[in-house]
Amino acid sequence: MSFKTYIRSCTAIALTASLFFLSACSEPEPATNGAPPDMRLLTSEQYRNIIHDVFGEHIEIAGRFDPLVRTDGLFAVGARSAPITPKGFEEYYNVARSIARQVVNEENKLVLIPCEPVDASRADEACSRQFFTDVGRALYRRPLTDSELETAVDASGKVADELGGFYEGVEFGLTGLLVTPNFLFIIDATEQDSSAAGGVRLTGYAKASRLSFLLWNTSPDDMLLEAAAAGDLHSEKGLVREVDRMMNSIRLERGVRAFFEDFLDLERFENLEKDTIIYPAYSINAAESAKEQLLLTIVDHVVDKDAAYPELFTTRETFMDEHLGRIYKIPVTRPDGGWERYEFPADDRRAGILTQMGFLSLFSHPGKSSPTLRGKAVRELLLCQKVPDPPAEVDFSLFNDPNAPSRTARDRLTAHSTAPSCAGCHKLTDPIGLGFEQFDSIGQFRVAEQGVEIDPSGDLDGLAYSDAKSLAQAMHDHPGAPACLTNQMYSYAAGRAPGRGEREFVRYLEANFSESGHSLKVLLRNIASSDALYMVTKPEQGPDGVRAASLKDSSNKERGS
Amino acid sequence: MAKCPIIAAVGLVSAALVTQTLTAAEVVTPASASTEAASSGANGGKTLGFVVKDWMPAVYETKFMDECPAGLNISNDEIWWRDLTKQQRSELTQDGLITTLDRWFTARSRGPNGEDICINPHLITDDPPLLTVEGPTAFGINLDGNVDGNATPNSCAHENFSSPDGVPGVDNQLYRLIGCIYGYREQGVIDINANEMRRTSGLAMILIEVEGVDNERNDDDVIITFYRSIDQFPLDSAGNVLPYASYRVDYTDAGPRYGDSIKGRIVDGVLLSDSGDVQLPYYGNYNYMHPVIRDMSIRLDISEDGGQSLGLVSGYYDLEQYLYLTGGLGPVISTGNFSCPAFFEAAKKMADGYPDPETGECTHISSSFEISTYAAFIIHPEQTDETETAER
Repeated sequence: MSFKTYIRSCTAIALTASLFFLSACSEPEPATNGAPPDMRLLTSEQYRNIIHDVFGEHIEIAGRFDPLVRTDGLFAVGARSAPITPKGFEEYYNVARSIARQVVNEENKLVLIPCEPVDASRADEACSRQFFTDVGRALYRRPLTDSELETAVDASGKVADELGGFYEGVEFGLTGLLVTPNFLFIIDATEQDSSAAGGVRLTGYAKASRLSFLLWNTSPDDMLLEAAAAGDLHSEKGLVREVDRMMNSIRLERGVRAFFEDFLDLERFENLEKDTIIYPAYSINAAESAKEQLLLTIVDHVVDKDAAYPELFTTRETFMDEHLGRIYKIPVTRPDGGWERYEFPADDRRAGILTQMGFLSLFSHPGKSSPTLRGKAVRELLLCQKVPDPPAEVDFSLFNDPNAPSRTARDRLTAHSTAPSCAGCHKLTDPIGLGFEQFDSIGQFRVAEQGVEIDPSGDLDGLAYSDAKSLAQAMHDHPGAPACLTNQMYSYAAGRAPGRGEREFVRYLEANFSESGHSLKVLLRNIASSDALYMVTKPEQGPDGVRAASLKDSSNKERGS
Repeated sequence: MAKCPIIAAVGLVSAALVTQTLTAAEVVTPASASTEAASSGANGGKTLGFVVKDWMPAVYETKFMDECPAGLNISNDEIWWRDLTKQQRSELTQDGLITTLDRWFTARSRGPNGEDICINPHLITDDPPLLTVEGPTAFGINLDGNVDGNATPNSCAHENFSSPDGVPGVDNQLYRLIGCIYGYREQGVIDINANEMRRTSGLAMILIEVEGVDNERNDDDVIITFYRSIDQFPLDSAGNVLPYASYRVDYTDAGPRYGDSIKGRIVDGVLLSDSGDVQLPYYGNYNYMHPVIRDMSIRLDISEDGGQSLGLVSGYYDLEQYLYLTGGLGPVISTGNFSCPAFFEAAKKMADGYPDPETGECTHISSSFEISTYAAFIIHPEQTDETETAER
C-alpha cells in the first residue's frame, strides 16, 4: 500500500469510525515481495463446494480423492505440491463422469442446462456453447479461452452426433472440463504489471480465486468474477468492497470452518477409532458430533459473536447433541436429534475447545488417553512449535508394561521419559498433556486411573496450572497462541508459509490482531484485503518449463481481464 | 440358587443422575463425575433420573426345584397331543413333517369349534390343573400387612411366603401362579422376549424421577414419580443400553400422560418407597397395556457409576390385565409350557387383592417384579421450551 492510499483509507476510516479500519490503520502495511506464482490442488471439500455451488446440493459426489500431504502444519500448503497419480486421475475421472451424468439426467437437465436443443438426438452448437460458456466460467473461475470453449463445444458435438444425443455430448464435454488442471488446480495466473515491483501481478481472476477460497472455501461467485473482469480487484477500493461483501455473507462460516478443519487437523476424524469395549458410549455418530461440536463452537465464537480468539480456550459456551450428552453426562432436550446451545457451569471441569471430546479423543490412543499426543498437538497445532519425531530405537516397554507398578499415565511417562533419548521431547509434550488426564480417550471425565487419583497439574511454558481448566486459561494467556494463528491463517490464505520478506508483514498482522482484541474477523479481513496476499514475483522457469508454460498460457489468454 | 439377586444385593454404593433444565444458571455436571450437581427439584434438592430397561416377574428358584415338587407344567400342545388318536396325529403332522410351531398353532385352536383357548380359556374345563409353587420362599414384600395369610379388608385369604432373608408375610401370589411354568423361570424366554421387544421398539419406556434429594446416600424424604418416555434407548455397538441419555416425558395438553407419585426415602444408597397406586405403561410380547399397580412400592439399589441399578417393584396387579397379557402372548407362549385354561383357572384362585364388593372374589394378584434401570436425564416439556435451540 502506498502512503497516499494509506492516507486515503485512513480518512475513510475516520469518517466511518469502523473498528476494523481503525485497527488496520495503526500503521501502514509493510511492503512484501510475494512469491513465485504456483498452483494448488483443490481439496476434497473445495471440490465438493464448487460442484454443489454450480450444480446444486443434490448432486452426489461419490468418490474419494488421494489425500493431501500436510505441510508446514496445513493441507492448504501441502496442496501446492500435491501430484495427481494415474490412480488418482482415474478417481477424478470417475467422479467427473458421475457428476456429468447427473447434470444431464432427466431429473436435472431442464434446470441445469440453460437451453433446450432444437433436436435432442443430435448436436446443437448454440446450446452447447451457451452451456459451456456459463459452466466453464464457474468451474475454471475465469472465462474459458476461445480455444478451450471450442474444444469443449466440438468434442461435445462429435459425441452427440456419434451417440445420437445432445445430452450425451454435453455429458462428455462436462466430464472433460472436470478433469482438466484448470479446474482441479487453483492456478496463480499472472499478467504484466509495470507498476509492480516484480513486473507481474496476479490476474483479477486469480485474485478472485485466492480471495474466494480463503473466505468461502469455494470458487468465486458471479459478482466476484464480474469484479475481477472489471479489474476492480486491482484497486484497493474494489478489493475492500468485495472483501466486505464476502465477510458479511453467510458463506464466511464455511470458509472459517475450512480453515479450522485444516488448522486443527480435524481430518484425523476420518480415521478415528476407539475400543468400544472400553468406551461403549463411543460411536461413529459420537465422533462426528464431536467434530461438529468443535466447529460449531468455533464459528459461533469467532464469527457470530466475533469474540476474542484466545477465549476459545476458556469459553463455557458450546453446543450439545444426544451423542455428546451421554459422553459429557449432561441432559439434552432433543434426544431424538439436533443441536442445542449449552453453557458449562462456572465451576465445571470443562472450559474451552481443548476440553471438548473432539480434541481429547482426536489426540488419544484407541484404548487410552495420551498426554504425549495431546501435548504434541497443543505445541504443534496451537503454538506452531515443532516437536521432534521419536527416535527409531524408542523403548516403550516401561510405558506399556501392564505389570509395572505405575498406575497413572503420569507415573508411566515419568518412568519412560527417564531414557535420555526420550526425555527431551517428553519434556515438551507431557507437562501439557498431563493436564488433560482427567479426561479419558473419548473425553469422559474421570478422577482416577486404576484406582489412583489423577494429578492434572503442570506447567505450560512457565504458566502453572492445576487442572485442564486452568491449563485452558494458560493457553488463553499464552502469547504464542494468537501468533501461531496469525502465521497459519496467512499460510492458509497464501498456500505457503510466509517467506523471509514477509516476516514484518506477519508481525504487522499480529499487532493488528492484538489491537482488535484478537478478533479473527479483523485478522481475516486484514489478510484478505492486504497487498501481500496477492503479491507475486516472476514465474520461476523450471528445468522442464512445464509450470512456467502453463501459467503463461493461462495468463495470456484469459478473456475479459 | 436364586434367579433374583435383588433382595440379597446389598452394599451397592449410591449415585445417580440429575435431571434439570438447561438454562445457564442450572446446568450441571453428572452426579457420577461430580457431587456438585445441583438442580432444584419440586421440593428442593437434587433430582435423580432412571430409565427402566428390564421388567420381569421375580421368580425364586432353588437348585433342586424344591418349590415345584410335582415338576413343571406341561405345554398346551402336549396336552392336546396326548388326547389325539394315532391317525389324527399322522394327519395333523403329515406323518411328522410339520414343525412343532405349526403344531402349537393348531393346538391353541383346540376349542370345541376350533376357538383359540388362550383367548377363550373358559371353553376347556378338563385340562390338568396348573402346577403351582409350593415352596415357602419368595421375593416380595408384605402387601396386606399381616403374616398369617388371613383375609383383610383389602385382601383375600392366601398362604404367605417368607423372603429369602426369612422375613415372614411376603405376598407374591403371582409367583405362586407362574413359578412352576418353564417359560417364566430362568431358562424361559417369555419375559426376556418382552424386554427385548421393549429395548428395540422404544415402546412403554418407564422413567423414574426422584425429586428432593438432599443427600444421595441417605435422605428420609423424597418424591418418586413414574413417567413414560417418548424417546427410545440409545444403544452401544453391542446393543447395550447406554447410561446418561436424555429422555423426554410423554405429555399431553393436560399434563404428563403418566405421572403418579409416591413418597420415599434413600437409605445407604438404596431407594425405598411407601406404597401407592401407580399407572405404568407396559409393552411386551405384542401387548400394550396401561396397568394400574395398586399399593405399589419400589426398592432400587442405586449404582454409583450410572450403570445398571437393580430393583424390585411390588404391588397388586390387576388380574384381568395380567390375564389379558397372558392370553395375548402370541407365538412366544409356545415356549412357555402351560395350559391357558388351567392357568386362568388357577389365577382366579390365586388372586388375593382387592375383593369385589359384590362377589367377594379378589380382583388383583400380589406380585413382585425385578427391574433394571440406568441413570437417565428426564426432560420435561418446559425444559425444552426454556432451552435455546441452536439454529444450525
